[in-house]
Order: sequence, then structure tokens, then C-alpha cells
Amino acid sequence: MKNGSDAQRVLAEQTLRRAAEMRTARAAMHAERRAFPPAAAAGVPHKQRVIFNTSHTEKIPGVRVRTEGQGPTGDAAVDEAYDGLGATFDLYWDTCRRNSVDGAGMELDATVHYGTDYDNAYWNGERMIFGDGDGRLFNRFTIAVDVIGHELTHGVTGHTANLDYNGQSGALNESVSDVFGSMVKQYAAVPRQSAAQADWLIGAGLLMPGVRGVALRSMKAPGTAYDDPVLGKDPQPAHMKDYVTTTSDDGGVHINSGIPNKAFATLAISLGGYSWEKAGQIWYRTLTDTRLATASQFMDFARLTALNALQLYGNEGKQAATEAWSQVGINVP
Amino acid sequence: MRIQFETLGGFAYFPGLQRPLRIDTERLTTLQAGEIESMVRAANFFDQPGSSRPSGAADYRSYRITIEDGEKSHTVQVVESTADHSLLALIAYLRALGAKRPA
Repeated sequence: MKNGSDAQRVLAEQTLRRAAEMRTARAAMHAERRAFPPAAAAGVPHKQRVIFNTSHTEKIPGVRVRTEGQGPTGDAAVDEAYDGLGATFDLYWDTCRRNSVDGAGMELDATVHYGTDYDNAYWNGERMIFGDGDGRLFNRFTIAVDVIGHELTHGVTGHTANLDYNGQSGALNESVSDVFGSMVKQYAAVPRQSAAQADWLIGAGLLMPGVRGVALRSMKAPGTAYDDPVLGKDPQPAHMKDYVTTTSDDGGVHINSGIPNKAFATLAISLGGYSWEKAGQIWYRTLTDTRLATASQFMDFARLTALNALQLYGNEGKQAATEAWSQVGINVP
Repeated sequence: MRIQFETLGGFAYFPGLQRPLRIDTERLTTLQAGEIESMVRAANFFDQPGSSRPSGAADYRSYRITIEDGEKSHTVQVVESTADHSLLALIAYLRALGAKRPA
């Protein structure tokens, strides 16, 4: 504000004012959500889904097209988002007793048909936003329930550990979203899938036919999801020795997430049964553990999973956790 | 005017999709060069703040635009849907140009 030309100062002031307005509006919205309804805070699950349509523009939030309790609309993206939000809510409530993203019955919002040829889905801090893909490389992003679980989980992380979105803490943030997204997919499958039965793929079904790949990421075998002339080769490492140091992708948050992803898949498979029964409990306790700092590195997270595994399942649990981490090159003392 | 346009971020990192778009307006038709230059002016590009960082957001895309015009050089990195109207118009134009490129 002190340096720069008058024109730059005007623009900078505008940006600051807009950011401040957004912060005030956001704080007011959060206060509103926490206050309503009282029943939610008392532990009664409050599922409140709202789907919006931006009709191929980028003008968020879009028009409200389906709200909680209303039947299918016939628009695949709308109905998939609605079902996926429900499946994610159910996993968190049924297995973790977490009441929506904020733990207090917060409304779940999703915007669909965002942009044109938009090959992406994201969490903007308050809602999920989904594109329809370009139809050549990618399908619509609502088609994969794990993607929906992944995005909502960014909200959960934001309300809990709030892991910094860069470097190792960012890769943990990304991995936690893949972990819970994958559990949503396994939980919502008919019949439900055990850890041994699950494919541990993220975004299977998103790649159009003709693309050489099976998914966007593989948790069980990071680096093997695709190898395609246009997309390139899946860059994820499966072990610390292959950790990618880069300035791209916020320090490789979508790349190095392969390492903690593999640790989780390994642990879930070794413990047997459904992934949410034990491995998911260890992970959820760690995510909500007040000792998990925003700048946590892989080792910090791994240590806490071992401590929480010990608390929950005794020495056997702790051994299994430390063994899973050692398989990816993180040796918990 | 030389322009470099990159799309960063997103739900997954695809090495093959990271190619920056590079434009030299001297190698464009007069019409195209004029269109771009007027959009750059309308966006007040050289006075735009350098970058914005959203809090609590994830998997979003950002656009990074570097423009050199004579002595002036400036880079703007902006998160999708937070850019102002005229910058968005420039981004949309560049995205469309990028989409037309052979793979």
C-alpha cells in the first residue's frame, strides 16, 4: 500500500476491501450455521444437503435446484452430488459420530455444471464445486463418489487439524481426503467392500475411454494409475526414497500424498475387515487429535497414528500402524 | 507483447497437462494482437496485485499470467473465480487459445 503507483494502490485497496467483505460474510455465515439447529450440536445427526447449478458459468453459487428431502431431478450431476453428499455424511456419522463437516450439522452445499470443459472439482472453503469434464479426457466429476468424499473431507480437515496446504502437511491434507473419500466409496458400495475387496483407486470412472489409465490415483500402488500420451505418467511416489521435491502443485501436495495413502491402505488391509472399523478410527482420532499441528510432517502424523492405535487397540494396533508406515519409509521410533 | 499463461493446481497433478501457453503478439494476426492487447489494457494488468491465496480452499485451479511489454514485465497468479471481471475475460480468452493448441 505504501509503495507502488496510485493505480496499483487503488487496485490493492479494492482487493483488500473485497477480501475483508468476504471474511465478514463468511464469519456471519459460520456463526449462523453453528447456531442452527440446536439439535445438531446435541448429537442428533442433521443432514441438510443443497445442490446448486451454475449452468456452465463460473458464477458461484448458482441457482438452488435440489434441497434435502426432494426427490431425484433427472439431472445426473445434481443427483450424483446429492447422493454423494449423503453417502459422505453417513460415513462420518455412522462410523465416527461426526455430525456433518463441522461436527455441528452444517449444511452441505455443492455446485454442479460449473464452467465449460471444466476438468476439475474443488472445495472453495465452504462448498464443493464440480465441473462436467471435457468429454475427451475426463467425465463429469460427480460420477465418482470418492471425489465427493474427498472434497467434503477438505472441509472436515479445515474444521479440525487444518493442515497447511503445502509441502508435507499439504500432502497429508490431500491424503486424508483420499483416505476418507475411499472409505465413503467402500461404505456406499453395494455390497459394502472390505479393505481386501476395495480397489483403493481414486476417481476410477473419471477417465474417458481411450485414456490409458484406470483412475486419477492409486492408494495401494501409487504411481500406477495412468500412463497416457496426453496426461503423462502418474507421478506419485510409494516410498519416502522417491519423495518429490518441487515448487509445482504447492510443493507436490497431490504427488507426495501417495506416501501416506499407501500407509493407510496397507494398514487397513493388514488389520482386515472394513477399512473404517479400525484403520479409519485410528486416522479419524489422529485428524481430530489436538496434538496434530497445522504444519505437521509425515513423521508427526505417523507418530500420532501409532499413539492412537495403541490407545484404541493396544500393542497389536501400534505394531500394525508402525509396520504400515515403515513400508513407505517412515520409521516411527 | 509476450504472454505466458499457465493453469496450476486442480484435483490431481498431471505432468502432461502442465505446458504453459506462450504467445508473442508480433506473430499473431493484427486482429488477434489487437484483441489481446485491448483485453490486457482493460484488465489493468500491470497494476493487478501479484497473487491471492484463498484460506481453507483445496483442489482449486489458479492461473498464472506473465506479460512482457517493452520495458514492463508483470506476473499475476489468481485463484479461479476470484479474479475481477476484466481479468476473467483475459483468462477465458487465453484458455480458449490454449484449448485450440495441438496436443
